[in-house]
Amino acid sequence: MEITEYITMLGNPLTVLILLPITGALLLMLVHWLGNDERREMLANPIRYTNLGIALLMFVLATFIGLEEKFGLAWGEYLYQNCEIGAVSTGSCTLISSIGVSWHVGIDALSFPMVWLTTLLIPISMVVEWDAKKGAYFHSLILMMEGALIGVFVSLDLFVFYVFWELTLIPMFFLILMWGGEDRRYAAQKFFIYTFAASVFMLAGILVMYFNNDASWVGNITGKSFDFVLMDTSTNFIEAEGLRSIVFLLMLIGFATKMPSVPVHTWLPDAHVQAPTAGSMLLAGVMLKMGAYGFLRLGVTLFPDQVIEFQTLLIVLGMVSLVYGAVVCLGQVNLKRMVAYSSVSHMGLIFLGVATLQPLGIAGAIFMMFAHGIISPLLFAVCGSFKHHYHTLEIDSMRGLAHHSPWMSAHMMVGWMGSLGLPLMAGFVAEVAILIAFYMAFGWWVLLPAVTLIVTATYYLWSMQRTIFEGGGEAQLPPTMHDEEPRDITWHENTGMLILGVLAVIYGIYPDFFGMFEMMSDWATLLVENAIYPPEVNP
Amino acid sequence: MNLGALFSSVNMASTLIPEWILLLGIVAIIIVPNLGKATFRLPVPGKAWRIPYFIGGKRFAFTSDPRLPSAIAAFTLFASFITALLSQMGEIGVTESCVAIRDGVARAGPEWCSDGSMILQIDAFSRLMGMIFTAALLLAVIANWDRLPATPHHRIALKTQRDEVVESRRLHRLLNNRRQVDFALLVLMVALGMSTVALSANLFMLFVGLELASMASYVLVSFNKETQIGPEAGVKYFIVGSVASAIGLYGISMLYIWNGDLSISSLRSSWADGPNGMATIGLGMMLVAFGFKVSAVPFHFATPDAYSGASGPVAGVLATASKAMGFVALMRVLIGITLADDGSEWTILIGVIAAITMTWGNLAALGSRNPKRMLAYSSVAHAGYILAGIAAIGALGPGEGSELIATAIIFHLAVLVTFKLGAFLVIALLECEGRGHELEHYHGLARRDPLIAISMMIFMLALAGVPPLAGFLSKLMMVSGIISSTVGDVAGSSLSETMDSLSWVFWLAILIFINSAISLFYYLRICVVMFYDETDRNLRLSRAPMIRIAIMFCTMGAIVFGFGILADVLASAAHDAALALFG
Repeated sequence: MEITEYITMLGNPLTVLILLPITGALLLMLVHWLGNDERREMLANPIRYTNLGIALLMFVLATFIGLEEKFGLAWGEYLYQNCEIGAVSTGSCTLISSIGVSWHVGIDALSFPMVWLTTLLIPISMVVEWDAKKGAYFHSLILMMEGALIGVFVSLDLFVFYVFWELTLIPMFFLILMWGGEDRRYAAQKFFIYTFAASVFMLAGILVMYFNNDASWVGNITGKSFDFVLMDTSTNFIEAEGLRSIVFLLMLIGFATKMPSVPVHTWLPDAHVQAPTAGSMLLAGVMLKMGAYGFLRLGVTLFPDQVIEFQTLLIVLGMVSLVYGAVVCLGQVNLKRMVAYSSVSHMGLIFLGVATLQPLGIAGAIFMMFAHGIISPLLFAVCGSFKHHYHTLEIDSMRGLAHHSPWMSAHMMVGWMGSLGLPLMAGFVAEVAILIAFYMAFGWWVLLPAVTLIVTATYYLWSMQRTIFEGGGEAQLPPTMHDEEPRDITWHENTGMLILGVLAVIYGIYPDFFGMFEMMSDWATLLVENAIYPPEVNP
Repeated sequence: MNLGALFSSVNMASTLIPEWILLLGIVAIIIVPNLGKATFRLPVPGKAWRIPYFIGGKRFAFTSDPRLPSAIAAFTLFASFITALLSQMGEIGVTESCVAIRDGVARAGPEWCSDGSMILQIDAFSRLMGMIFTAALLLAVIANWDRLPATPHHRIALKTQRDEVVESRRLHRLLNNRRQVDFALLVLMVALGMSTVALSANLFMLFVGLELASMASYVLVSFNKETQIGPEAGVKYFIVGSVASAIGLYGISMLYIWNGDLSISSLRSSWADGPNGMATIGLGMMLVAFGFKVSAVPFHFATPDAYSGASGPVAGVLATASKAMGFVALMRVLIGITLADDGSEWTILIGVIAAITMTWGNLAALGSRNPKRMLAYSSVAHAGYILAGIAAIGALGPGEGSELIATAIIFHLAVLVTFKLGAFLVIALLECEGRGHELEHYHGLARRDPLIAISMMIFMLALAGVPPLAGFLSKLMMVSGIISSTVGDVAGSSLSETMDSLSWVFWLAILIFINSAISLFYYLRICVVMFYDETDRNLRLSRAPMIRIAIMFCTMGAIVFGFGILADVLASAAHDAALALFG
């Protein structure tokens, strides 16, 4: 492969979206590392602003893509592909040609919301934790993670997909290990090993898929290709039903751990509680969505029959996550832990939405990914600033927060209301869509998830009542304050939270803002029409 | 045998250029450091006429320089590596050829490749393996450039003590030079032995090369006499290794009695007709010898002791080049001789050994506090992964799937040189201050030296198989080869039927995955202590520029061979080598 071909590869906007943050972050870290102490001090602020600048540039680029293009018009249509579907065979975009790895990127209605969410959350998380220690490295690592996350969402080659999937772990591992709370060492190791171990099962599934993805005309060593589009369009892709089931289950292990779903969720509370604020914002906002995205992209699209076959399993997983997460939340005394378990609960709804096999349910599940991606970072930002100003996360140690920190209380209110599914907030739209689809599919069984949502409302309202309002003017300050004056949040924390809060409301009132809900429901409809119930089966 | 004929043929010279260079290097390293102002006094009365003859006497400044032997050895190995590379690219020498002994005369040329008297075979496989060996040894020599103190009773970095003991700086230089000569000479002999193993098309040649390399490496292990465990480790390694070699030799002799000829092609055709009991036993005994070389369970017990006793670079060579040599021998015997026989009784045996080896290695590594022992056990585990690949080849028989697995094995052995040796070189850097054998010594390494810590982290993640590093690609190719050999003919419409129809080799692939997950625990532990824990030692690491250069080379290799164009080049080269191996 010629060097010029690598350069033409760079011309693709999606490739730029992946490579710009990664190379930028590496260069910035290098620049900072090379200097002596004096120069490092001098460079600290410029590097911070450059990081933020790159992140904002990425957001502008992603927004332009969203403004210019109309997603979800046809099934299997990916925009901004750097090579045509058939071009994999001619080797025009190969990366490791001898085993059939190609640099194939593309974006569609499922990946665009996730990409946009990523580019939105990265600058916000940077701004929220603007004055982190060793900011040059902190913000660069966040930027590096952005590239890896976008790589997961836009790569259409499963090898590259897996590489980016694991690459997201490394910056997050360091964010937790270097900037986390007291127990960060345990949390970082647990996070890395848990998710890595789960994703090797996914890799086993990918390899089986690879060996059934015939590309013998390419003429490489194996005669196979990792290309996803080729798998999707191939007519004889894995014909043995039993093998399809094995692959589906292997991948389900990987995705369910990432989402996470009970019983493989235990890494999440530890990682969240110990992670720095920006880290847990990204962890909850985007990294959990990787699991859901992978499940929809690989699991449901390629193995629709297995979704039908294992429908009960998915519902059980979803219901157990939903109920367990909610009930465990009731017993939490740690604010961040409670929010973390509420994520488990909400991710359960995604499984339920997909298991309905209704367009509305799947669209609701995708919208849940998006809405949760806006609301849970807001909650974690609030938790972070709470920890920052009051040096504790104990719910019971604080009374009358509204008195001391009105802004923080307001954001906390917005976040909790959004998360419990208050009408006119983003979370409500997703929950209602999933519940309606659930009713359409299973009738009055819908009462099970619906009743659980009451528990969700209970734990939020209960802790809200205790923390924010109780005590009135005579507030009780946590003992960890050591007679400090309580303050409100800083301007940069406020900026980030304000944007997220406003978006949560906008998407509650008008889910179609920026075309989001429309493209999601288009994609879900096409998925159901073309993959799950293909025309020749559906009378 | 007519020695003149050995050199007379032009073919002979051009066929074995890399090996001739190694031989010349050995000669040079014996002669050059001995050059001095020796003179011979003519017996003429009354006259003091002296004729200088240069061997001995007071050494010249440059010949007593401690860095000279390393320079010679490094240059030799580099030249050998480059000529092997160029000959494969078709620039010099020959790409494919053979050497045979007929009528007591060594003859070279492609026309001898089908001859029964062929002893050495030059092809893509042997040249690529030769390059792997020389690259690993080259890195070890570079890392030894400014180590190895002259005075064996004192630690390396404690300069004050050294000055107390050594009163004469010149003597110190000379002693250091002597010691480096020994080291470099042994390294070159290892290189020559390993190259012979890679080239050999005859079990006798293979055994000679194996012993040449092994004997030299036993001495290299005990060369680490600053520590008390170094010589002990060397002796232990020597005794166990000799027993294993003796058993292997016994096996070879049984094959000889059975077949009357030790050339691999002849053994292959006889084996295809059906081996008898003696041949099977002979093969099993050879597996013991090679199993020791690759440190497969249950022949691995000397491995952790030897690695932890040897100095960092030597342990790195043992874990990469020496292990690769064992696998070359294994593949020559198992693939070269027995694959034609469809039954392949050894397949299940190798599969069981592979499963036990990888699991045992990983579990033992979990409990090791000494990073060198940990890496030794991780090396055992890696041997298990490769053995699983060989077992799958046996189950599959010749074909595309087997070629893919062989490609993966060769690729893995090649990239192992980058990250495994690199990890041992980081240990070597810590050994410069007399530490490195306990986990505590790695605490806070990221604060003391961020670049080295990041390199070490890259090596650890590559060993664990985290993308996009080289270790991931090699493990992926291995597992994908194994999976491809099983899912091709899977039938069954339900889950349980499919489970029944899956070959047992598929579960080896799953076991590799599970073991990778287990191994992450101990690899990650090193990363965590480097970046997380505080250290009470705030000195900078030793400067040791040559070790750092070698580490940087390894780091670059671990990255560029994992993803992108160079990975593709290496994978294609490995595929060519695999095709050559299968003939």
